[in-house]
Amino acid sequence: MSESDKSLRSALGRARYLGSARRGAADAWLTHVSAAALVVLASAFVLTMLTLLDKDYNAVRAELGHPIPAIIVLLFATVATFHMHLGMRSIILDYVHGRAREWALIGNICFAGAVAIACVYAVLRIGFV
Amino acid sequence: MASNDPTSPSPAARPLSPHLGIYRFTLTMAMSIAHRITGAGLYLGALLLAWFLLAASMDATAFSHFSGFIQSFFGRLILFGFTWALFHHLLGGVRHLIMDAGYGMDDPEREQLAVANLVGGFALTLVVWAIAYAAR
Repeated sequence: MSESDKSLRSALGRARYLGSARRGAADAWLTHVSAAALVVLASAFVLTMLTLLDKDYNAVRAELGHPIPAIIVLLFATVATFHMHLGMRSIILDYVHGRAREWALIGNICFAGAVAIACVYAVLRIGFV
Repeated sequence: MASNDPTSPSPAARPLSPHLGIYRFTLTMAMSIAHRITGAGLYLGALLLAWFLLAASMDATAFSHFSGFIQSFFGRLILFGFTWALFHHLLGGVRHLIMDAGYGMDDPEREQLAVANLVGGFALTLVVWAIAYAAR
């Protein structure tokens, strides 16, 4: 009972092996929570990018070196890459089957993770180096 | 119902929903597909953000490669598409949150929400690009 207490699946659905496979409801929930956060973060990110228009290398670095723009970009990049990983995961689970699915899921983690790390590293390097 | 035996080691064959081909075309269906396509586009577009930040973190030469690309006609086209996909997907997400809360699923409302999503996505894109060009 301990698992079913936390699960959003109904006991009947579980008994019949129907509904989301294993932890599908958890993925959907995390997608929704990150989506709600991204409504705010993506808007703040676009406004931040508008302040960087036509600025040269030094001016862009100076702007992104400030805490508020840096934190907005860091939050947007991390939550967006988390959200896009979940979204691509559900696309893969819908359309890719068999052994290719396993490679696609691994590739998805690697891509989203690499983009996240690259963005975080770059913002920190601008701010601290 | 032996295949649905919960103690069976291998899961039963799951029922699959019918695929796209058998449905009549509706606006809400097109918006659902557009939500997924814009999401996949933004997935690839994230490379643009990583490129921009990495270039700014390196040196003026690396940054000039990025700004040269993004200021070219092709670069602007990509960035315009990215902006539209971002706003379309953002408003689509809000629409999904509204519907998940149980609202806006009846006959006129769901179409109105879909139209608002479509128009709003283009409108926000044009507003941001108008600000961008006005601020130059």
